[in-house]
Amino acid sequence: MSSQQLLMKDVCVSFSGFKAISELNLTVRQGELRCLIGPNGAGKTTTLDLICGKTKITSGEIIFNGQPIHRLKEYKIARAGIGRKFQVPSVFRELSVRENLAIGNSRDPGILSNLFRYGTGDAIEQTEKLAKLVNLEDELDKPAAYLSHGQTQWLEIALVLAQDPALVLMDEPTAGMTAQETRKTAELFIRLRGQHTLIVVEHDMGFVRDIAETISVMHQGRLLAEGSVDEVSQDPLVREAYLGSGGIGHA
Amino acid sequence: MHGKTTTQLALYGAFCLAILLAPLVVDNAFLLNKYARYLVLAIVAISLSLSWGYAGILNLGQAATFGIGSYCMAMALKLKTIPVHTGPDGLPDFMVWNNVTELPWIWQPFHSLPFAVFAGIALPSLFAGLIGWFIFGGRITGVYAAIITLAVMVVLNLVIVDQQAYTGGFNGITDLAQFEVGEVAFDAYSASTYYLVAICLALTLFLALVITKSKVGLVLQAIRDQEERVRFFGYDVARYKTFVFMVSAGIAGIAGMLYTIVMEFASPTFLSVPLSLSIVIWVAVGGRQSLLGAAIGALIVTGIQGALSESEAFLDTWTLIMGGLFVIVVLVMPKGLAGAGEILARRIFSSQRSSSDRAEVGSAVERLS
Repeated sequence: MSSQQLLMKDVCVSFSGFKAISELNLTVRQGELRCLIGPNGAGKTTTLDLICGKTKITSGEIIFNGQPIHRLKEYKIARAGIGRKFQVPSVFRELSVRENLAIGNSRDPGILSNLFRYGTGDAIEQTEKLAKLVNLEDELDKPAAYLSHGQTQWLEIALVLAQDPALVLMDEPTAGMTAQETRKTAELFIRLRGQHTLIVVEHDMGFVRDIAETISVMHQGRLLAEGSVDEVSQDPLVREAYLGSGGIGHA
Repeated sequence: MHGKTTTQLALYGAFCLAILLAPLVVDNAFLLNKYARYLVLAIVAISLSLSWGYAGILNLGQAATFGIGSYCMAMALKLKTIPVHTGPDGLPDFMVWNNVTELPWIWQPFHSLPFAVFAGIALPSLFAGLIGWFIFGGRITGVYAAIITLAVMVVLNLVIVDQQAYTGGFNGITDLAQFEVGEVAFDAYSASTYYLVAICLALTLFLALVITKSKVGLVLQAIRDQEERVRFFGYDVARYKTFVFMVSAGIAGIAGMLYTIVMEFASPTFLSVPLSLSIVIWVAVGGRQSLLGAAIGALIVTGIQGALSESEAFLDTWTLIMGGLFVIVVLVMPKGLAGAGEILARRIFSSQRSSSDRAEVGSAVERLS
């Protein structure tokens, strides 16, 4: 199989006439860490929505590991190996952190097998390892509603990792984090690179500089440029798109 | 975490023991029948707590599946009665009055009591499965789903009333034989029927508890919390919701069958709006996120209701009093009696701990001085 894990071909999407994405072509290699940036309304979150099935495409194709996935239901796309962290952190606030992680661990999502699985038992070690990875090991039995915003972000990242998908979609993972938390998140992402393919949508350019291999810049629903941080920030088209917001560094 | 489960098991066990031992104290056939009726309603409350409290599906038509179960049992027991007016063929009396000459095919299999018991669980489940497939497959949630369940029940009620020749219409199915298993006959006014109901209550309570303690229960709670999010972990949300909807309906069906045995008739009022809304009230009062709470809620509310409506002093005002009590409970205890009990237990526990902390500090101070 080719190393191209995700292939978006001529993808268009329109919401009652408004073209949110037009003719988007994007390829992501296996194990790559790709950053997706662009001004507000460029279609970054929509692109992630399309990949994970939250929004259906109007035309085009999305191929994941050689299989077209754009017609599948959300849960089937997830089972195919795509995990998503949402922009507004979405965790299960009434459940404890430990229970949240048990939900995230969804290798066996069927009803029948889960009827005979009790407690959060079978993956205690993995749960604690994950909790340690995101500094939540002391909060395991707290309801997720009691976590701070940054901790909630981390919990959702941990949930996606518990799911262990081949492709991870991260929508603004550092929003609302302190500088120190952001640095830790960057370290975490660099460690994940290679084991998982990551697509990260982010506004914090410092964070992007820290983690990015390749950056894709989107503007008005199209792919504007692709390349390393330096290449992209030299690109005249990109500079023009960001004009008025003080250039790419301040986006 | 582990301690919490143990406490919970102990509480559930104590409750079951209490209802099983009650006939030792109560030696009055009329009271036993009344209490058996309350216990049946507690089973329905458990079934609603499972779907509403754990999966967030507010079913305003829970009485529909309850009614189907009750009719299944009534049909079988009706065919067991010795017909008075129809000679040896044994057509049920109301069919004769409606000029039906032959037992309809739909009634045929109910000659077998085991089939009737099976149907009393399977038919409500299938019915719920069909509605669930439609509602949850179409991603209808919240109020809209609740309204559909209510509407479906009203339609079913109308059909039963309308098809008088096959269902007994408004009058329902009356004049039933006793439910018999082997040598044991379950007279509605006897301890044996009470035990039958109590044992069924205990079994369904623990069955429901096992489901909520499994990972399925956890996924259902996650669905209640954030349905959209659960899909993206690969869980088939519609299937999970339909599953719990069907289990809930099956349990309601069991309760319906028992209700027929206890009341000795089946009637369209069993699948009526007032009963359905009452179930919601019992569960809300008891605490919808606790199976035991829901059961106790049903016992308390129906108990008070029975006591008030039977006493002369409250003959005119008892519905008003019930309404007032309900409003107070919902305002003061949003999580019902179970939620209030939990808060109380936590407060007692933490005050004990803080007083022992104080004692330790005190002895430390003494040592220093």
